[in-house]
Amino acid sequence: MSALAWLAPPSLLIWGLLAGVPTKAPAQTATPLVDILASELERNFGALKAKADPPPYFLAYAVTESEAESVSASLGSLNSRNRNQRRTLDVTVRVGTPQLDNYRRVRGDLPRFTGGAAITLDDSPDAIKRRLWSETDRVYRLASQRLLNVKTNQQVQVETKDDSGDFSTADKIVSVSAVPLLKFKGDDWQAKLRKWSADFGNKPGILSASITVVAQRESKTFVNTEGTKLQHGRTFARLIFGAQAKAADGMDLSSSEILDAEDANRLPDEKIVKATMAKVERDLISLLQAPVVEPFVGPAILSGRASGVFFHEIFGHRIEGHRQKDESEGQTFAKSVGTRILPEFLSVTFDATKRSLDGTDLNGWYEFDDEGVKARPVTIVDQGILRGFLLSRSPLTGFASSNGHGRRQPGQEVVPRQSNLIVSSSNKVSSDALRALLLAEVKKQNKPYGLYFEKVDSGYTTTGRRGLQAFTVIPQIVYRIYADGRPDELVRGADIVGTPLAAFAKIAATSDKTEIFNGVCGAESGNVPVSATSPAIFVSEVEIQKKERSQDRPPILPAPTVTGGRP
Amino acid sequence: MKPLLALLLGPLLLAPLLKAQSADPILRVLTSEMERSRGLRIAGGADIPYYFEYSIDDIRSYTVNATLGGVIDENRNRLRVPQVRVRVGDYAFDNSNFVLSDGNFAARYDTGLLPQDDNPLALRQQLWLMTDRTFKNALESIGRKRAAMRSVTAAPEPLPDFWKAAPVKLNVNSTAQALDEAAWKKRVVAASARFSAFPAVLTSSVELESIVNTSYFVNSEGTELKYPDNIHYIRVKASGLAPDGSTIRDHRVFHAIDAQRLPTDAELNKAVDEVGRHVVQLAAAPLGDIYAGPILFEGVAGGQLIGELLGSQLNLPRRPVGNAGQNSRFTASDLEGRLGSRILPSAFTLVDDPTQSEFRGQPLLGSYAVDGEGVVPKPVTVIENGVFKTPLLSRQPIPGFTASNGRGRLPGSYGHRLAVMSNLFVKSIETVSAEDLKKRLLDLVKQRNKPYGILVRQMDYPSSAGGDELRRLAVSLGNSANGTVLSSPLLAYRIYPDGKEELIRGVRFRGLNLRSLKDILLASIDLYQFDFIGNRGPFSLMGIGGYVYPASVVSPALLFEDLEIERPAVEVPPPPIVPPPALSTAQAP
Repeated sequence: MSALAWLAPPSLLIWGLLAGVPTKAPAQTATPLVDILASELERNFGALKAKADPPPYFLAYAVTESEAESVSASLGSLNSRNRNQRRTLDVTVRVGTPQLDNYRRVRGDLPRFTGGAAITLDDSPDAIKRRLWSETDRVYRLASQRLLNVKTNQQVQVETKDDSGDFSTADKIVSVSAVPLLKFKGDDWQAKLRKWSADFGNKPGILSASITVVAQRESKTFVNTEGTKLQHGRTFARLIFGAQAKAADGMDLSSSEILDAEDANRLPDEKIVKATMAKVERDLISLLQAPVVEPFVGPAILSGRASGVFFHEIFGHRIEGHRQKDESEGQTFAKSVGTRILPEFLSVTFDATKRSLDGTDLNGWYEFDDEGVKARPVTIVDQGILRGFLLSRSPLTGFASSNGHGRRQPGQEVVPRQSNLIVSSSNKVSSDALRALLLAEVKKQNKPYGLYFEKVDSGYTTTGRRGLQAFTVIPQIVYRIYADGRPDELVRGADIVGTPLAAFAKIAATSDKTEIFNGVCGAESGNVPVSATSPAIFVSEVEIQKKERSQDRPPILPAPTVTGGRP
Repeated sequence: MKPLLALLLGPLLLAPLLKAQSADPILRVLTSEMERSRGLRIAGGADIPYYFEYSIDDIRSYTVNATLGGVIDENRNRLRVPQVRVRVGDYAFDNSNFVLSDGNFAARYDTGLLPQDDNPLALRQQLWLMTDRTFKNALESIGRKRAAMRSVTAAPEPLPDFWKAAPVKLNVNSTAQALDEAAWKKRVVAASARFSAFPAVLTSSVELESIVNTSYFVNSEGTELKYPDNIHYIRVKASGLAPDGSTIRDHRVFHAIDAQRLPTDAELNKAVDEVGRHVVQLAAAPLGDIYAGPILFEGVAGGQLIGELLGSQLNLPRRPVGNAGQNSRFTASDLEGRLGSRILPSAFTLVDDPTQSEFRGQPLLGSYAVDGEGVVPKPVTVIENGVFKTPLLSRQPIPGFTASNGRGRLPGSYGHRLAVMSNLFVKSIETVSAEDLKKRLLDLVKQRNKPYGILVRQMDYPSSAGGDELRRLAVSLGNSANGTVLSSPLLAYRIYPDGKEELIRGVRFRGLNLRSLKDILLASIDLYQFDFIGNRGPFSLMGIGGYVYPASVVSPALLFEDLEIERPAVEVPPPPIVPPPALSTAQAP
């Protein structure tokens, strides 16, 4: 841990919170990046305030240094090995007033000013200052032009219901800490992946399989004209196992597992890796033989990981703050604060400060958000009652300040995004008891079977008014649980579909064990790392539909063999 | 991904088709997987494959990009890019030359890249999946093509779909020395720092890219190739702002097939200083006025003009079979229908010759031993005494010709490769010395009572325009009645009757196109070599990804009696409110 620079008397001091392994700071340069940013920020802000019309009232510079290394292998052979390093600059200029500025959304459009310019990888003051200056000029022009458009639009539009303004106040924070270096043993990983992949997916019916390891480091440097100066960041690592196959009827099938950790050295050992590969293969081969699902409405259990994705999609995206004041949004919960929106045994929090849970690293962890606001735990639903929203510095009526969820991928504009979603329950039963509840419900509804969603790939949801207020969750592994005691049966080709309010009302109970889904979420402000933690949930009714599928047949010739030649 | 064809330093080995297995492990994998694929059939289906082609570009690349002494980007890449082609039917009628010939109908399981180890099983697994998908796509295309042909009138001329070509064997190992990356990085960074000495230069970069490629190719006709295909280049770019807020810029590019022939430090530094000086001069230069009169393209500018106007048009791609009433995105050559017509004054003859490896001791960039289809190229007299005689051809049949002349260098459309130029030699029998040519320009100026003539020393081709500038340009081109998209002059001068020159900025040609070439008045006896890396983007814009072709034009300076320049109505943002930051490390060049 080292504090590199203290430039101004800070009003709020936070020492670097990056516990982890203290590593040596990057070579100290004559002028650290945070100082280069701060001095050019001051110069540009001063000159623009004095000479520009309209003058800006706020400026911020954010530089994200991302470094990534990856190795991928199939059938014992190296597919690729890459290393990337990049520094991206995002410039924010606000003109007008906090009440009405160039970021005001008009007819649902999300303005974009930043271009994500590349700057030098080393702290070369001349090159970086030049770029800061030219980007500030470019962004200022766009911002002032947009303010004019916004003001014109204000005159012709009816008044909107939310009069909360465009930019809230935030504490000034000065915190400069060294981000752990990326320690990735590429040669070791290359040898390991060659070895592990040699036999992975080399089974009849499996068309392709690969193992990929990715290690990443993100260091964020942020300054704004309120005096905030930050340098913070983290590392990420993941091991990805994927395999693909094609069923005899042409349906494309895949099976995958992803193991996440904060650092490549914390990724699981060979024993877990081998078990994971075996599971991916076993699932895919079972899917090849599994019957195709029929459209079905009935009771189901979602595993903890499946439920995590379910909550992320159908709930999480709907409590992102900007959707509550955008007139083009469905605003499912905009007027529901203080009312019951989930069963009373459920609570939902978002906690970006949690680095790990039960020994598993959480992907949605960060120290400060992308507007320089300190992360904090936020209770969104307390015993079924909606208490608030995820907020950036764009305020909402009744919610005057950010709760540290303004996030973006470098090169995009900030909007409120999810962090670590955690579902907790006070109606917990054992896994066996949950299964018994399912079977009882199956009998009650007079169905032949219920469904168990073990693993989901992904999901998506539409929140706009123009589209349906609907969601789709795409499961990988789904079982039929029969009422008559037949063994559970794997099925393929199912998508869960539904509408959010109806879906929440059907949650009846949860298990007493939670599971974690780590992933990357894509939305308006790009891709951001997130996680979702949930117990398994029992729902009295879900609807599944048949997946769209490809029509072409599996490969005509058999797979090649080591000896080659005609089979 | 830049599969490039390049000069072969070794001897070209033409051998009869041999049954013996290749010694090279990669070629052996390609051949054996190709042999196995011959068994591809769909039970009950009538269409069977008659031609297979497998190629791999095994690429190692290194890029470093620096500005004002700092590295912006440094990348090393290793890629093995495979391509598989399968033709079903026969040479007379197959799945190509149809609007959907390049369609993807089958699900994809291959990754698009081959494994980097020489592991036969892992390599064959990918090739197997690619072949299967390509075969299914070919079946789908030929079926749809037959259906489409029922609803359109039959093609006027009975043309085959694919020309046969003689098998070629070639096995050349690279002898090139590896680029010293660390040393080059230092050089590039140091060169980029020199721009600090030019305060008018607001953005600048020095970028090195080195691509070392081994190309592998086999087809079912017996062609088997392995050869090095390398290219290295350094781009020096700088731009600034004129007092009215418009962008001004200059660039200089060095190319080398052999890394040892990249510029020395002194040459590189000289180029940086020259580009820097040009930007300073352009920032102070007056805006050009509308002009109609004689224009002289001096030095390489003549070759740039010919390369841009003719380089990608000397082919005559064939119109695909379409679905009745549906528009295809086919782009015809500007020379379509002009075979046998006069394109240039009768004094001019143009020969495209990839078999020449150097010109007066300078390596030529467009030299190669085999094209992308494994065809050995021959010199082609494309324009003889001003008349368009022979187009550049790939294996796509067109009327009046019977075989490829080995110019299939770029991936094309409708199941075929696109023919492009290589080394284009522009010759004229009516020439005067460069000095006399300039005198001739001034005579014309005086005769026509013009206050000055125009001299172009450098065109912006390939263009170094940035994103913002290009967007503004696109808007202004959209607004202009002038449909021709020709790059603008980077260095243009007014030349007064007394010989005084004055640099101008912000001008563009009006109505200068392929047809204008007929009006070339006179050429210089001196010849200038212009090397470039062409691509299919607008103005062969530098750094546009995808496939490229290295090429050279050897041309005289060219004098036109009557051309027009205009000042384009490009909307220019006002100059920045905040002055640029002062530089801490100014040094004298």
